[in-house]
Amino acid sequence: MRVACVLVPLFPLAARLRSEPDLKGEALVVVEGNGNAARVLAASRKARLSGIEAGMTLPQARALLPKLIARARDREGERAAQETLLEAADGFSPRVEDGGEGLAYLDIEGIPGLVAPGGSLTLPLSPGGKESDRQSERRLGGDLIGAVEKSGLPARAGIASSKLAARVAANLADSPRVVPPGEEAAFLAPLPLARLAPEIEIAATLERWGIRSVGDFAKLPPGEVESRLGELGRQFHAVARGLDPRPLQPRLPALSLSEGMELEWPLVTLEPFLFVGNAALERLSRRLEAQGLACRRLELVLKLDPDGCDARAIALPAPTLEVKTLLTLVRLELEARPPGAPVTGFVFAAHPDKPRRAQLSLFGPPALSPDRLATTIARLASLLGADRVSSPRAVDGHRPERFASAAYEPPVPPTVAPLPRAGRGLLAVRVLRPPVELGVTVAPSGTRPLSIRSSEGASPEIAGSVRIAAGPWSMEEGWWSDAPAARDYWDVELSEGGLYRIYRDRSRNLWFADGVYD
Amino acid sequence: MVALSAPVLERLLGAGAVGRPGARLCRASDLASHSGERAAMPTAVAALDRLLPGGLPKGGLIELSGRRSSGRFSLGLAALAAATSAGQPAALVDLGDHLDPQAAEQAGVDLRRLLWARPQRVKQALAAAEMLIAAGFPLVVADLGLSPRTRFLPDAVWVRLARAAQAQGAALLLSTPWRAGGIAADAVVSAAQTRPVWRGGGRTPRLLDGLQSRLTLEKWGRVTPHRSQPVSLSLDGLEGDDAGALLGTPAGRDRMLRSA
Repeated sequence: MRVACVLVPLFPLAARLRSEPDLKGEALVVVEGNGNAARVLAASRKARLSGIEAGMTLPQARALLPKLIARARDREGERAAQETLLEAADGFSPRVEDGGEGLAYLDIEGIPGLVAPGGSLTLPLSPGGKESDRQSERRLGGDLIGAVEKSGLPARAGIASSKLAARVAANLADSPRVVPPGEEAAFLAPLPLARLAPEIEIAATLERWGIRSVGDFAKLPPGEVESRLGELGRQFHAVARGLDPRPLQPRLPALSLSEGMELEWPLVTLEPFLFVGNAALERLSRRLEAQGLACRRLELVLKLDPDGCDARAIALPAPTLEVKTLLTLVRLELEARPPGAPVTGFVFAAHPDKPRRAQLSLFGPPALSPDRLATTIARLASLLGADRVSSPRAVDGHRPERFASAAYEPPVPPTVAPLPRAGRGLLAVRVLRPPVELGVTVAPSGTRPLSIRSSEGASPEIAGSVRIAAGPWSMEEGWWSDAPAARDYWDVELSEGGLYRIYRDRSRNLWFADGVYD
Repeated sequence: MVALSAPVLERLLGAGAVGRPGARLCRASDLASHSGERAAMPTAVAALDRLLPGGLPKGGLIELSGRRSSGRFSLGLAALAAATSAGQPAALVDLGDHLDPQAAEQAGVDLRRLLWARPQRVKQALAAAEMLIAAGFPLVVADLGLSPRTRFLPDAVWVRLARAAQAQGAALLLSTPWRAGGIAADAVVSAAQTRPVWRGGGRTPRLLDGLQSRLTLEKWGRVTPHRSQPVSLSLDGLEGDDAGALLGTPAGRDRMLRSA
């Protein structure tokens, strides 16, 4: 098996620079801890040139370089950067292992021969011997580095027949470094022991023994090493001989993609939050686009000062990649329901879906842009309420006020515009929801209404003497339910104008107007 | 046959070659808008299509005013039915929540293509109409209900709506109980002289048959033609089982009388 290892050096720093690219070229350190106890985790080249090293306290570092910029470790940004690294690796191999902070392993068995210069897949090259295989692998390593750097992270790559050798190769200069098959032990032998990162106790013991390089250690008899250094020593000795029995453990693809950031200071207004949120959404959109996906549902988790949390979800009517749309929806969501405390961090999580493509037709009616439609519906929902923007649906039954609604997802327009149907000249009824309660004078000889008047303050106001009344038509529905309807309907024309549909509720003996013919 | 999208055609023919007036390649459905006459969306109501040549002018604000029971709600539904049955999306801004989906479906509206916004205030209704126009809906019907309080809205609101419709090439039908759009409306049609039509009388039970109204074109561009057309709206437009589903139809009521 051939394994490629891709490594992001100084990962906490690289993740921070990915979130804040303006800091590139500055003297920057990423620290962990609070106050004067904060220790430097990683330092930029400019800071290192001033003598700052990992492990120093922040006051020590500032003593060397007063204008040093310090940023706290951003766990959320590191997690997003790690996902980005793995997604870039996914573009080269179907089997990718998440190796932890800034590290990914790829199973590239059989892949280098399929990759042409530039990273595109091509037919297998003609067999050209070991040298050409090594060149193909080197080219693959270069493309891998290019893909990771395109996503905003610096990278190094190493290729070998074991994960350990590949990782050590990736750590060396002259990246990408290729270790030919079977030459792992020879490759490791001249390297100092520190490259294998041994446990401190073992390192001290080996130092006393006078062993400096991996090769010196590998020459020791395995049984003797195990009897003196125990199980840990046996494993370490096998590693020194180029034996790495650990298999590659491919990860499962993520169901949702997320981007976020821990903020240096709490935000209390919307605009600064949208400014930093825009960058995170852009990164999220690029990652979705790289996988041919779009965002169907966006989840936002806000970390609140001092230790609160506010989570909310924004469902999109159509999958979208448009950052402006997503940002507008976030703005509307936060304007409608502002968080109750200053925001100290945030995470956007996108639930992916296949993007909806709008195919234009030369002869058909124009289609709505899915992105614009999604934004518009979201804005309307924010303005009117989510239940007041929909597509109406007919419902079986007899109550005139009945209706149902569904999410607005218009069907694809026909390829050729049909002619509109001939008009039916149908008189429609304006339904009054809720029905307007009426005071009704009825004829002494029956139930025929003679005059009607709506109760005071009712809207719309209805009053007048009845010129013509037609009815009654009885309607009874739902007698088996908790809300039965037993009504006698009348059509009435008022002397002052207006044509109404009114009814008497038989169970309560009350009159209502529930429609206006219009 | 190979389907070519607009971006592909632009790559083949060069930027600016597709879509705009004067371009080398246009959508066939847009050709009418480049001729001398203004493109229109038919409403399938003969009287209205005669008054407004061809129907509702695209890129214009059309105001339809009339008192209660003047038939303007039915005319709005007819315009929606014509647009959606031709495969176009359409939106109804329904101030007052008056739509009966069953009746709309019987009138020929393709409900799947209809977006129904139900604002509770006039300002919300107008903001919603502007958003829908900007989203690209070719027809937006804004029904301001029975008694909206529009007196405090400045003229700039209507001008803004008219400009939005013009910019998008959309038809905005504003249905109001009295004239509200002021100078911004491209066309103003009023519905008046309404007369309900009854069937029967004497010993025969009365049935509402429909209503007759008169549409008058009060403004068309910068002129006031004052042309008018009669329009008849009937409750008897339904057939078969459809009729029983609507309480307000003679056929449905005949069925009720027979079963009683």
